[in-house]
Amino acid sequence: MQKSNFFKGLMACTAMVAVSESALASEWGSFDGVTIEAKLIGGQQYEGLYGRIADWEAATGAKVDIISKKSHFEIDKEIKSDMAAGTTDWCVGSNHSSFAPQYEGLYTDLNDLVPADVVAEFVQGNIGASTVGGELLMLPRAQFDVSVLYYLKSNYEDADKTAAFKAEYGYDLAVPETWEQVKDQSIFFADPPNFYGTQYAGKDEAIVGRFYEMVVAEGGNYLDETKKPIFNSDAGQRALQWFVDLYEAKAVPAGTTSYVWDDLGQGFASGTVALNLDWPGWAGFFNDPESSKAAGNVGVAVQPMGSVTRTGWSGHHGFSVTNDCANKEAAVSLVNFLTSEDSQLAESAGGSLPTRSAVWEANVAAAKAGDDAFRAEALAAFAEGAKYAFAVPPIPEWGESTNIVFPELQAAIVGDKTVKEALDDAAEAVDELMRESGYY
Amino acid sequence: MTRRRLPEWFVLLLPAIIVIAAVVLIPLLFSLYSSFTPYKLTRPSTLWKWVGTYNYEKILSDAKFWAAFGRTVLFLTIVLNLELLFGLGIALMMNKVTWGQRTLRTILMFPMMFSPILVGFQFKFIFNDNIGLVNNVLQSMGFNVALPWLVDAKLAMFSIMFAEIWMSTSVFAILILAGLFAMPRDPLEAAKVDGCTPWQSFRHITLPFLMPFIYIAMTIRSLDVARAYDIVQIMTGGGPARRTELLWTLMSRTGYVDARMGLANAMGYVSILLSILFTIYFFRKLSAARAELGMAG
Amino acid sequence: MDRNQSHRNRRRVLKTLHFTALFLTMMIICIPGLWIVLNSFRPTVEIMAKPPVWVPSFTLDHYRAMFAGAGEGGVPVFSYFRNSLIVSVTSTLIAILIGMSGGYAFARYRFKGKNGYFVGLMLFRAVPGVALSLPLFIVFAKVGIIDTHFGLILAYVAMNVPFTIWLTDGFFRQIPKELHEAAEIDGCTRWQAFWQVEFPVARSGVASAAIFAFLTSWNEFALASQLTRSVGSKTMPVGLLDFTAEFTINWGGMCALAVLMIVPALILTFIVQKHLIAGLTFGGVKG
Repeated sequence: MQKSNFFKGLMACTAMVAVSESALASEWGSFDGVTIEAKLIGGQQYEGLYGRIADWEAATGAKVDIISKKSHFEIDKEIKSDMAAGTTDWCVGSNHSSFAPQYEGLYTDLNDLVPADVVAEFVQGNIGASTVGGELLMLPRAQFDVSVLYYLKSNYEDADKTAAFKAEYGYDLAVPETWEQVKDQSIFFADPPNFYGTQYAGKDEAIVGRFYEMVVAEGGNYLDETKKPIFNSDAGQRALQWFVDLYEAKAVPAGTTSYVWDDLGQGFASGTVALNLDWPGWAGFFNDPESSKAAGNVGVAVQPMGSVTRTGWSGHHGFSVTNDCANKEAAVSLVNFLTSEDSQLAESAGGSLPTRSAVWEANVAAAKAGDDAFRAEALAAFAEGAKYAFAVPPIPEWGESTNIVFPELQAAIVGDKTVKEALDDAAEAVDELMRESGYY
Repeated sequence: MTRRRLPEWFVLLLPAIIVIAAVVLIPLLFSLYSSFTPYKLTRPSTLWKWVGTYNYEKILSDAKFWAAFGRTVLFLTIVLNLELLFGLGIALMMNKVTWGQRTLRTILMFPMMFSPILVGFQFKFIFNDNIGLVNNVLQSMGFNVALPWLVDAKLAMFSIMFAEIWMSTSVFAILILAGLFAMPRDPLEAAKVDGCTPWQSFRHITLPFLMPFIYIAMTIRSLDVARAYDIVQIMTGGGPARRTELLWTLMSRTGYVDARMGLANAMGYVSILLSILFTIYFFRKLSAARAELGMAG
Repeated sequence: MDRNQSHRNRRRVLKTLHFTALFLTMMIICIPGLWIVLNSFRPTVEIMAKPPVWVPSFTLDHYRAMFAGAGEGGVPVFSYFRNSLIVSVTSTLIAILIGMSGGYAFARYRFKGKNGYFVGLMLFRAVPGVALSLPLFIVFAKVGIIDTHFGLILAYVAMNVPFTIWLTDGFFRQIPKELHEAAEIDGCTRWQAFWQVEFPVARSGVASAAIFAFLTSWNEFALASQLTRSVGSKTMPVGLLDFTAEFTINWGGMCALAVLMIVPALILTFIVQKHLIAGLTFGGVKG
């Protein structure tokens, strides 16, 4: 313990020396002959940024060795395996706000290594979600995720439909403002198996996240301050009932409980789903005639309200530096570079959402000035939606709790259990988990 | 003067023993040990805390575990039997073909080229209820339905079994076909002369001769039944609502996502035991069938 | 006359039935696989179309994208292919050598506890990959052979040795002892006698063991996903996951890589399938 404190202090000193020196050398420092080993998330959406690594190498004289590049869940598995085997002397790792609390002791506190004024340039909500137990575990990259409502515009331009809807439900057909309206309209639009009103993620963490945001929208919460599960409250039951009602009315595809993000995105792109709460990464895809039948017909609006508030379950990707890294200044320099304003501008040009305030403003301004009306509409919706964003509880047990909860949610949706039974069973099991973990 | 030398047979077996010890035995001992600890991947220090049989008690008293266990046994039983039945049928049909058999045999082996994980992705898309091939075909034929193949309890089990059977029936068919090729013609001719019906000669001559081949196929398959894990993990992940949860999907979720390796390894031992039981069962059948054939021939 | 007629009719019906059944079976076997091949040549919007598009259009986009640079949808196909090839071929060769030596020991020597050794070796093959992957990873990590060809080859050799022993054991047993005894009288050492007399007879058995071993290594995923990490060692099944991101799957691209994965296996199997049947016929049964 003492030794590691001493080590930390030493590192901090070296970092300070390095910072003052680097100001002279170049913006990113000079690390001739240093090799930084990195484990990065792979996939088309994320790899554009890695093209910029060459610039950092040129500026600093260091080399980056990407020792692993894997998809989201695979890299999570790999990092956990590394922690188990003690092979954690690589330096930079891709991280995600939902996963970060699980890697206890793996990543270093960046508050010591990154100047406070740099940290202040990020969106503070994102910094908050990157902080666990007071330690800043990662710097966010321009991959911020919160969901807004995508919809097919043609459904609201048909006079017959508008009249029929008004006659049946007693209010005007318009892009929905509340989840109640989403339910009405979904049931109204649905014509299974050719056309569905909406759809939702049906398994894994995905459905728990969707349920979580509905619970919050209804005025409840997932855990209380002592980390005790309270999602089986009335608000929780109302939230789950919404999913069940849609399923029973066949307003969602029958397979929706086996869907995760790719199925949902492809479903909406096939032009057979009216309303779709989905992530920013899809915006370009949905409006691209090469990939989507709905192209040209896609509208984007801020996410609807529950009976209490709008909410947005959110998460973001970032980069972390390990405690065992041999050359932390170099590693931090790389992380700083990959999350810098220039990097974020470049990455968010691909359609993802930034995590720096200045880049948000620049993007919104550019979209307004540009001739891409769809991009402007989407960006405005996301900028509004981001205001309601919240991150999942920063505890290592979050992931495990979702594995307990999702089969119960599914059981209620497909009718094996009632809403109350399912939520009570899930809450009981999560309660046991929290007790075992020593929260109370 | 002469040093005592190792027996020759042992020297010959030694490389095999070393490799297997290094790759299988040592890790297995490690996981056996860790199944008596509250080992969490993300907290390596938990490896040194001994909790005795806590993990085993926990899973053995867990209804979800037993449900997965029962489902796995059911899955294996149905799948292995159907694969055998289809394999036998295909082999008999192929044996009757007089031309193009080489090509047909290659086609037959087609599914063996597919990585289980690819089979998983493939059938996940084929059975997708909205844009999948099966529902598209049904709808084009005029049925206005979208069957939830991967959701409905029975259909989901059917779908993962179909994928598994598609992938593995070939092994049975090929082995049984090999048996048919090796079969002497004389007894069949004799039976024909004696006026046996085709069914009688199949039942009393062909089938007994094929039995050892069938058990070989069964043994080979029982050795790597756990390959089905890749398929099920991709297609349904054990869901929805644990309707297709098998031991392997439960174990990998507990071990990797929840990072509770101690608990997962305890489940692992139960699944290893299950595999071993299946294998020993078929080995004994095989030995018996071999002995019988030895007597007959 | 009448009886002959009905007999002939029945035969015709049976023949038609046989043909139909065979045709349907082949369809079921082929269609899911061909579906992958077909989709690798279709634009994404068409693969995902609803209502479905039955007349496919043709595009090489997925292949073009796959070979493009990183960030444009490219994956390092050549590296994956090379890794898969190195690992599968080497591990197959080693497994065959080790397995043959083991099979020979079981077939030619009498020793105590022979059956125990035999079943024991087999049982190690029965350990599910998913139960083995993490402990194996930890052991390999301690030794420092994670993310190397060597580590993966070692794992696959261990996976394939038991089956090879089993198959070659059966083969060597049916070769009469007199054969190598005669050779030894002619002045061969036992080693020479093995390669000149016994090995050629057992060749088709070895070939069938080799094809099984190769296909197992070529397609294995559970261990490879745990033991490989970088482009320098990832095999093709692991590479398939490059087409999945947090929220998306690039199905067309995945199909294109899958086709590249299937074709070599298909060619190889076509070449050796004659040996495969012959090998299985003798190896497993007569032992």
